[in-house]
Amino acid sequence: MPAIRHRRPAAVIAAGLAILGLVLLSTKDATPAAHRAAGVPAAEGPAIDAPGESTAKRIEALQTAIRAKPRDAELLATLGLAYYQRVRETGDFGFYVRAQGVLRQALSLDPRNADATVGMATVALARHDFKGGLRAARAALRLEPQSIKAYPGIVDGLVELGRYREAERAIQRFVDLRPALPSYARVSYFRELHGDLRGAVQAMEFAVSAGGEAPENVAYVQSLLGDLQFVRGRRTAARRAYERALLSVPRYVPAEFGLAQVDAAGGRLERAIGGLRSVVDRLPLPVYVTALGETELAAGRPGAARRDFAIIGAEERLLQSSGVNTDADVALYQASHGEARRAVELGRRAWQAAPSIRSADALGWALTRSGSPRDGLQWGRRSLKLGSRDPMLLYHAGVSAREAGRRGEARAYLSRALSLNPRFSAYYAPRARRALEAIR
Amino acid sequence: MRRGALVALLAAVAGLATLTASAAAHPLGNFSINHLTRIAVGQDGVQLRYILDQAEIPTFQERGLADDRVLGLKHAEVARHLTLSVNGRPVPLRFPPGASISHPPGQGGLPLTRVELPLTATVTAPRSVVLRDETFAGRVGWKAIVPQPGTGTSVRTTAASGDPTHGLRSYPKDQLRSPLDERSATFTVRPGDGTLTAPANPGAGKATTTNRSGDGLAGVFGRASQGEGVLLFLLLAAFGWGALHALSPGHGKAMVAAYLVGTRGTARHATALGIIVTVTHTIGVFALGLVTLLLSQYILPEQLYPWLTLASGLLILVIGGSVLRSRIRATRAGAAAAEHGHWHAHDHEHSHQPGHDHGHSHEHTHSHGGRSHSHAPPERITWRGLVGMGASAGLIPCPSALVVLLGAVAQHQLALGLILIVAFSFGLAATLTALGLAVIWAGGLTSRVNVRGPIATALPTVSAVIIVAAGMVVTARALPGVL
Repeated sequence: MPAIRHRRPAAVIAAGLAILGLVLLSTKDATPAAHRAAGVPAAEGPAIDAPGESTAKRIEALQTAIRAKPRDAELLATLGLAYYQRVRETGDFGFYVRAQGVLRQALSLDPRNADATVGMATVALARHDFKGGLRAARAALRLEPQSIKAYPGIVDGLVELGRYREAERAIQRFVDLRPALPSYARVSYFRELHGDLRGAVQAMEFAVSAGGEAPENVAYVQSLLGDLQFVRGRRTAARRAYERALLSVPRYVPAEFGLAQVDAAGGRLERAIGGLRSVVDRLPLPVYVTALGETELAAGRPGAARRDFAIIGAEERLLQSSGVNTDADVALYQASHGEARRAVELGRRAWQAAPSIRSADALGWALTRSGSPRDGLQWGRRSLKLGSRDPMLLYHAGVSAREAGRRGEARAYLSRALSLNPRFSAYYAPRARRALEAIR
Repeated sequence: MRRGALVALLAAVAGLATLTASAAAHPLGNFSINHLTRIAVGQDGVQLRYILDQAEIPTFQERGLADDRVLGLKHAEVARHLTLSVNGRPVPLRFPPGASISHPPGQGGLPLTRVELPLTATVTAPRSVVLRDETFAGRVGWKAIVPQPGTGTSVRTTAASGDPTHGLRSYPKDQLRSPLDERSATFTVRPGDGTLTAPANPGAGKATTTNRSGDGLAGVFGRASQGEGVLLFLLLAAFGWGALHALSPGHGKAMVAAYLVGTRGTARHATALGIIVTVTHTIGVFALGLVTLLLSQYILPEQLYPWLTLASGLLILVIGGSVLRSRIRATRAGAAAAEHGHWHAHDHEHSHQPGHDHGHSHEHTHSHGGRSHSHAPPERITWRGLVGMGASAGLIPCPSALVVLLGAVAQHQLALGLILIVAFSFGLAATLTALGLAVIWAGGLTSRVNVRGPIATALPTVSAVIIVAAGMVVTARALPGVL
């Protein structure tokens, strides 16, 4: 399945939400969108709510409180973070605009308000302004050096900017200071990036049992756990994790998406297509649409796939007309099913905005598909430099190596892609197998 | 005057910019499916109107389907998921004819979908009514139930009164409010005389953001299409707006006044001027609207607006240039004839002699029946000059009027839009005429008071220069968007 599957789809959703949300934000603020957003919930914001109270209720209470005290920067900052949480729960980008508005207001009342600064960092990261997000998060840390509030933003910014050594130190400090859902989830992702899937599962299980402020926080890490189990080829464990996420938050999109992926890998293509269509009908992010189209291709329905793929074109148009750049997801889509040249352009932009292994993968795959497999292989190697076990990264690097004439290297990548989960994708796994057989 | 003209022209540019900006994103996101149901519970029946505003992406997902088919799909969704129960029992909803579908332009050249479905249910002696809207579950968007008074009933409801979106045409942008998510409402009904008791809508009356139709006035088109005698009100409103609009700077009021004063115009001239302004203004807006519509078939609106702005700029330049040229000519001619640098007010005294015949002016062919009322000196108030003056006052692109027209087109209410433009133009002309008459009347009283002086005489030339300058500004600002 699309490269994103094994990298926490929920993070990718946040990313996609961010890009499309950008359409709502003023172009003045628009920066080139790059990769997956800072996934994990900003659960560290000050809370005036009782645990378990729904975000919508919390928002209502905050709105009422602010109407009585309109110049309370602390309340405004809290509301901003609650709005951000609401985007994660509903996919309604209108809340991004609101979040940004009240956070700005909070900062104009109190420029040294740490919570509002954290909020601005969170929103910047969600909009794929990783540099700005990191800057704001660090500023927040300077404002309140004793607090752990700024750490999620610092870690996510560093990871997305490919500064893995610094990220490692920040994560370590974060989890030492506060071993809880947000820090465990980041530990897990960091281990996953380095190919330590068992360690990643363990950390994510900790994150699940630590629990979060909103039910969505737990559903999110449960879905991520499902993704990790799926990459390891444990379809039953993955399904169980997704189902638990759906118990926390019914109709939770990342979990429904995960279940459809499991169905597709198990050969239940019709069911998978039904599930994916229901996901796309509610939240047509490029990554979901790509998955739907590829599953339709696997089911031998190129016509339906073309029709669905066209949605991504429409979304690109919307983003362009508002002066916003698309990200690595769209680059990967263009490379696999669209215009390879355009993919190279998008991949380069993605790398510029966020030089992470994910951008390296997108750019490498785009180069290979546009007829430069040697360059593509270079970037493919870079995408694997941390030791990732991501089958899509390995598949891309393997095809690049084969086309560059490096059969040995290609064999190594492709067999590694198939080793953990021989059915990692209904569309790509058979291709990986054929490519491998051709060079045996 | 000079500043006024400039400000008005800059405002015109800004108007175009807002049009472009409002053509940007759907206020509730490109994925959203927004819907609201208006409901009036009457003694013999329940009248409902289901309104759907679907953003770019869901509309795109239905591309290639004929409008009838899309309407059928929405119809089916509403039939399945909108439920009404009266006195505890579900009541079937009927779909009388009158459903409409339109595709207002959205962002990136992608259309939106707007559907309105009238619905009715026959009931007898309703006591409690429950409406549940489970349509498009799980999709983000504005969801509302808007209670309205019914005939012969007194209704108490849980649904908030008022609709801050004006039928899903604009959405509140108050950052301390979440989008409405109202999917069920109960109504307690007693016989009465059409009263409705409902909690106040927190969003109503607050700052609202206009959506892509670009103008709040456009929102009323839909209501006009429902009849309800709104048309007369609309016409009056457009007339009044035009009249007020003429008072805003830059509609050549001062030019007209100066012209009439300078040329000793009559009431007849003032009226004629008004009519000419109406006609040219109407023609101008129609032409501009037509061009916009024709071009938008081939070009994305975002690409069109810079060109439109450029065209406006050039048009203003041309108008200013020709006024300036005629002024210079007139000045020269006046100087040559009268050996005076100031040609304007000077000869009033001589010309104002009873019995002075009115046969003058070269090309004017109409007859004034030999009545010796006139005072206008031949070389001043030619009818060609009058037409030119009226035309230049009327032709200056008026974005507000264009917005009305395009808004009407966006709502598929073209005819109504055209009529409203005419009303608007009449309003504009009424003000200008009234102004002209006032000037003439006042001039008659004070005719012996000399209104000459360098400022008064130079006024038309100055205004011509300002028009040219403003044209340059508009053109210069449009150029970067085009190049």
